[in-house]
Amino acid sequence: MRHTILLMALVITGTSEALAQPPAVQSRLMDAALEDYRDNIRTGAAKDGIPSIDDPVFMDVEAADAFLADNDRVIGIYMNGEARAYPQRILVWHEIVNDTVDGEPVSITYCPLTGTGLGFHRNGTEFGVSGKLLNSNLVMYDRATESRYPQILATGISGPMAGKGLEEFRTVFTEWGRWKERHPDTRVLSTDTGIMRNYQQDPYGDYNPISGYYEPESRRMFPVMNEDDRYPVKHEILGFRTGNHAVAVDLDTLRAAGVIERRIEGERYVVIHDPVLDTGWVYRGDAEIDTGEIDFGAEGPRFDGRDGLEPVNAFRAMWFAWSAFYPNTTVIDDGPGDA
Amino acid sequence: MARVTPDARAVAAVIGLAYALGYLYALGDLSTAPQPAWSLTVGDPARWLDQRVVFQFEGIGMLQAGSLVWLISPLNILIAAALGLLFALNVDGAWALWRQPAACGMTSRGGGLVAAVPALAAGGACCAPSLLLLLGIPGLGAFAALFAWLVPLSLVLLLASRWWQRRRGAPPWGRAHPG
Repeated sequence: MRHTILLMALVITGTSEALAQPPAVQSRLMDAALEDYRDNIRTGAAKDGIPSIDDPVFMDVEAADAFLADNDRVIGIYMNGEARAYPQRILVWHEIVNDTVDGEPVSITYCPLTGTGLGFHRNGTEFGVSGKLLNSNLVMYDRATESRYPQILATGISGPMAGKGLEEFRTVFTEWGRWKERHPDTRVLSTDTGIMRNYQQDPYGDYNPISGYYEPESRRMFPVMNEDDRYPVKHEILGFRTGNHAVAVDLDTLRAAGVIERRIEGERYVVIHDPVLDTGWVYRGDAEIDTGEIDFGAEGPRFDGRDGLEPVNAFRAMWFAWSAFYPNTTVIDDGPGDA
Repeated sequence: MARVTPDARAVAAVIGLAYALGYLYALGDLSTAPQPAWSLTVGDPARWLDQRVVFQFEGIGMLQAGSLVWLISPLNILIAAALGLLFALNVDGAWALWRQPAACGMTSRGGGLVAAVPALAAGGACCAPSLLLLLGIPGLGAFAALFAWLVPLSLVLLLASRWWQRRRGAPPWGRAHPG
């Protein structure tokens, strides 16, 4: 009996420890050694000096319309039948929202310096802003193990989670008007964050209209590990990566094509432009599909054969940041930048 | 006989106040809002010691008066007041030394200009992102973490400059300039 209780205690302890750290997956694509990443870390602010939002409050569309213009950017997620939007004007001051959607603990992360929004599952821990940067990209830490993760890399580079990948889910960095057209019942992160910030002002510039740091031709702020001048520094691409390679899709090319099929290093990818959200949905696999009649629902594109394909996470990024992390990236572009 | 120069002192006080407000503006505590409104938001008072970066502290309230937004951080206000006061004293001392060098037996007419050095340093101490955006020099961000240390450096330099001025005969704030 005593042994049974001891065993149960060990199992419970082990389980709670496992739940305290973020769920780990296989290391994502890395074009450098962990040590090289650590050596290129820069300091931008104090740890938690950019405070994450840990008790988010939400508002409805009507209230959000008083705060957001249709062309303002939001990061949207659709999970377990629920849509949520996180205004860029709030995230620029906090970079991480530790949220719970239908009982699932998640973190919505945004890096203003690289224009990237990614979602991560987090189990029982929270992510915070370390104040460090790699290739100008937000370096997060988890509050259970203090491991550090560059957001784009989505892999631990120090601490107990070093070399382990984070479990991502799809976010869409789009305009508020587009998001509410797709998700009219969406809930929206409120300015009632408990932290004093002027949410009517972006310290770096503006996306509506685009200005300041976000202008494509403007200069980057911090040193990077690799430079690539195929595009202007802040040019937005849609990026996706697998364990083997990274791919950057030029958004103008995608808009014009509607659907792009490409075989890269033996694997077939299908990228579908979503005209409402102005984003791309990426799939991998060899299954036959009919892309002639695609319609779009809350979850994204619907077409015959979709179940035979594997969805691949994709997100917008500024070109300099993408190429800094993935210098060997493939570029899909009908223009002179194609490679 | 001492000659009172209230105008010069008033100008120094106004410059000091403008400097303090400029510091808060560059810090981001004073900013503007495109949608004018009148509101006072009370935050968590326990956050008053939390630092954004070194020597920059969290606000515990926010006042919007029309298009002007003020994040109320007690410690940032204290630092701004100290910088503004010291800057005003330096301007006043520099003016006195510049105007009356012969009468006071001073050897260096340009000595008061030393006061400008820490002022420039403090001006760059406000907000690393603002400074980086302004300068737009790639790679300068590598030194972003050091910028915050310009605040205490400015305070030390302003104190040292004021001490230097007093050693060379600049009058204290409460006393009239010599004439």
